[in-house]
Amino acid sequence: MSEKSVVYLKDRQSGQLVEATLYDGMGRTEVEAAEAVWMPFLQEQLKLMKDRGVPKEQWPQHRHWDWRKKFNEIEGLLAYRMFGVECVSQMQGLMLVTTAGKACRIPSQKGMPLVYVHFLAAAPWNLPSIVKEPRFSHVGSVLIHTAIDLSMAEEVGGRIGLHSLPQADSWYASGCGMTDLGCDPAVQNLRYFEMTREQAAEFLR
Amino acid sequence: MAKKTMTLNMTDEEMNVLEQLSQRKEMSKTALLRQALRLYQMVDARLADGQKLFFERDLTKEKAELMVI
Repeated sequence: MSEKSVVYLKDRQSGQLVEATLYDGMGRTEVEAAEAVWMPFLQEQLKLMKDRGVPKEQWPQHRHWDWRKKFNEIEGLLAYRMFGVECVSQMQGLMLVTTAGKACRIPSQKGMPLVYVHFLAAAPWNLPSIVKEPRFSHVGSVLIHTAIDLSMAEEVGGRIGLHSLPQADSWYASGCGMTDLGCDPAVQNLRYFEMTREQAAEFLR
Repeated sequence: MAKKTMTLNMTDEEMNVLEQLSQRKEMSKTALLRQALRLYQMVDARLADGQKLFFERDLTKEKAELMVI
């Protein structure tokens, strides 16, 4: 059963912060409900992008992610935690992390445990790359904040790591202040980013 | 999340290893054991699914299968 807490997103239209609910431990019903809304919206937007002749390189690189499948893979496994941010009765973002089996790579903290972010995505209507007027911002920040909080609760000091899709590289580097450790041939040559204790503290400030 | 308490009986050797690991990883013994349980459950589930667990040397790419009893 998921635990809920209050977080805040920014309504891009009004510029105001609005109350949202953070779900810790998403259940099947919640994941299926999110995917049932996200997928048709995304498919419709992709069709529009195709019709407008938008090059595929500009399409969201995570468009193939299927959160139901991901949930099926990790259901019942303690090492994985799925989080969601809900606002106006719709899931605005999802994140899947693992709290075991991953170790730091930055030399100063090499071998230390961390929280690894497997997948993080905002709802398609929040993506500036596919809609003219995205609904909410801060979704990614709220979820990274959540990963850091979890890392602290698990006594791994706020250290987190992730492999980024190229479209998100600059956000993790500049927006989150994570260290870029370069392309990882073991994970589809995606860039690996890691956050130290100090960087986590800075992010939370 | 509600937590339950249990008493754990360990040999001196096991306790020494637990203390060394918790110091090295800068975690409490409880946090370390909880993490170990999660990892063990994940490995067990993958093995039950017919997968194998390997360690690979970064430089030589030499692989060794990990036996899990």
